[in-house]
Amino acid sequence: MSSRRSRISEEEINELISKLQSLLPETRRRGAGRASSAKLLQETCNYIRSLRREVDDLSDRLSALMETMDNNSAEAEIVRSLLRS
Amino acid sequence: MQATKSFEQAFLKQMLLGIQLSAVSHGSGSLQERKSAIKLSADVAMAVARGSKKWTRGLIASLSKEEQNRSFLQFVLGKEFERPAKICHSSWKIPRSKNIVRRSLRFLSKRKSNIRAPNSSVLAGTLVEKRTQVLKRLVPGGQSMDAFSLLDETLDYAACLRAQVDVMQKLMTTLEASKHSDAQRPKEKFHLLPMVGSWYSTRKGLRKRLSKRPKLTL
Repeated sequence: MSSRRSRISEEEINELISKLQSLLPETRRRGAGRASSAKLLQETCNYIRSLRREVDDLSDRLSALMETMDNNSAEAEIVRSLLRS
Repeated sequence: MQATKSFEQAFLKQMLLGIQLSAVSHGSGSLQERKSAIKLSADVAMAVARGSKKWTRGLIASLSKEEQNRSFLQFVLGKEFERPAKICHSSWKIPRSKNIVRRSLRFLSKRKSNIRAPNSSVLAGTLVEKRTQVLKRLVPGGQSMDAFSLLDETLDYAACLRAQVDVMQKLMTTLEASKHSDAQRPKEKFHLLPMVGSWYSTRKGLRKRLSKRPKLTL
């Protein structure tokens, strides 16, 4: 495994970095050139944290919502969305 | 785009199975329990829908550390889950000491700069190292990944998280809408139920179906 890793080119690293950059929801700063690795890592961490918070929040709301519905209609609704897509 | 759509579908399907299996669907348990059940279903659904990646294995491993999750995981993953030896083994390999990780990162960056001497080496500088450490904690299974895998897995993980949020959001919207128009639905429900009745009505049927499902290979 280590011998494979040593043959990773800078190209591949750069590709990953630019993919990361385009993944992030921030507007790309064309004028300033590519963001520094440190900044990029920070924004990635923030992005992942905010996504997880959203999932947490949605879980909250979904469970509260499902509590007020009868279970069969909740499940039927999910099945409907599956069949629709 | 196509890949995301099939992921979203697989995710939703797994969510449905998870919800049926857990406390939410049976009307028992406190609100907190239901919330944890939905969260667990969502995370397992995401891992199963994605398939075998380092982060999915890491996610399942960390979920299985909690006692209350085990029976659910066992049920959904079946035989694949009953290999604690394999999971434990890889966790023994995790460098627990900060110094070991720092040393290996420094070694990695030295090795990389010997090959290319890139000025913008990902691992150059303490700030990058620090941020990399944070990222390793955020991405499931990240502690045992080298820098390259970490970036790769991060991309994948973030994309799946994004899709997870999108599907759960859509689900919210759909359920809210159906709740308001429930009065108009009865006929539609009647047509739909026979079609899906055999799919999820009986626990026995569910168990059979689960055993036939392609398992997540760890």
